[in-house]
Amino acid sequence: MCLQCGWLYDQEKGDPVGGIPPGTAWEDVPDTWTCPDCGTPKSDFDMVEM
Amino acid sequence: MNAALRIQDFDDPTFDPFAATEEGYGKDIYDPYSKIAQLAKESSVQPHEYRVLFGQLPDMTTADMQHYSAFGYDLVQEIYSKPEIFSNKIFVRMLGPGFGRTVTTMDAPEHTRYRRLFQAAFMPNVIASWGDSLVQPVVDELVSKFAERGTADLVTEFTSLYPFYIIYRQLGLPVDDRKVFHKLAVALTITSTNVEKAAEAGAKLGAYYEALTELRYAKPGNDLVSLLCKIEVEGDRIPKEILVSFLRQLINAAGDTTFRATSNLLAALLTHPEQLAAVRRDRSLIPQAIEELMRWECIVMTGFRQTTQDTVLGGVHIPAGAAVEAVNGSANRDPSRYTDPDKFDIFRKPGARHMGFAYGPHVCIGQHLARLEMTRALNSLLDRLPNLRLDPDKPPPQIVGYTMRHPEHIHVRFDA
Repeated sequence: MCLQCGWLYDQEKGDPVGGIPPGTAWEDVPDTWTCPDCGTPKSDFDMVEM
Repeated sequence: MNAALRIQDFDDPTFDPFAATEEGYGKDIYDPYSKIAQLAKESSVQPHEYRVLFGQLPDMTTADMQHYSAFGYDLVQEIYSKPEIFSNKIFVRMLGPGFGRTVTTMDAPEHTRYRRLFQAAFMPNVIASWGDSLVQPVVDELVSKFAERGTADLVTEFTSLYPFYIIYRQLGLPVDDRKVFHKLAVALTITSTNVEKAAEAGAKLGAYYEALTELRYAKPGNDLVSLLCKIEVEGDRIPKEILVSFLRQLINAAGDTTFRATSNLLAALLTHPEQLAAVRRDRSLIPQAIEELMRWECIVMTGFRQTTQDTVLGGVHIPAGAAVEAVNGSANRDPSRYTDPDKFDIFRKPGARHMGFAYGPHVCIGQHLARLEMTRALNSLLDRLPNLRLDPDKPPPQIVGYTMRHPEHIHVRFDA
């Protein structure tokens, strides 16, 4: 989850618009990828239990 | 009740801010999108204020500034992506007199610091529990008032009430004073035409919220104010002044926008009965219906920024200190990004991310709560109002406005 805006990365959906195909594990998302809602870098995401 | 915890009405209690705001939104403008498309075709950057392009009077708080309006997906995204050039400081003059120092008026690093603290209270994992405890009881209570009748106006009897009732409950505001809170909150938004009344409303709400936060600091409860008082991220907490300003903004931010979005969602589905039937049959379609609605009918049509330096946008030179409006409504209907953009289609193939909640560091802080509220509202209306449909004896809903949009009525029938 993005700590700046709350956007949730769902491995099943990925982020196709941002170049991340569905099914991509979080570990395999490149460090250069940014939050599709607020532009925060991957390093500002954290795991949360839903 | 604590004597300090009593909201004060305007010195002139007959003052009515609602008429001013409805006029300001442009309730006689049915279709701003044709004009937006025409303007975008002429030039993607227009050297004018958006409201002036629609024949309205200029905003008095920015009368001394040069104005530009930017159209199209790429330019809107560029503006929101470059906060170091397109600053939120313009809101110091536009919102500051009423709201005070809210996060909307800030840039990084100050904004980053406070945004993270406030966002912590509105994260999806936090608000998930509010669905049952807070949202559903309000929805149930309102729907019960007309569920046996067979007819209703879903705007006046439901959408214009439920998000406000939710935020009143979250803040623990006294039921008897709700009308005064609503009136003062709406008055905060009229700085463009009446700075004095906006400032008076800000002072009165501020005095109340200061007393309320003092109480919650001393004796926390289960309400949102108590949560915000105690939130801590990496040892940092929200200063009282910033918290009070945030609370001033909350009724508008959480109430007004969700009222309009839910109204538009219902109007869109009811005027597209085949899509309504699909959602009724398969509720898993609700999330994509909400996203398509937020694209198709942008609640907030523009976002203001102020240039921090000379820059070039869309090939047009813009000087430092200019006001720039990103026209969200043009981004969401940009034909280069969306096929048949004027069509409401919940089965639209996923494409460019819409700008319905804006984008970038200032993306809507309450977007997850808004989605939760709309989902609960739509599910309940479909569950409890069988065969929900437009009333054929009444005018169909007409979404109006050029800055913020919603229908004034949604007359429906259902099997009671």
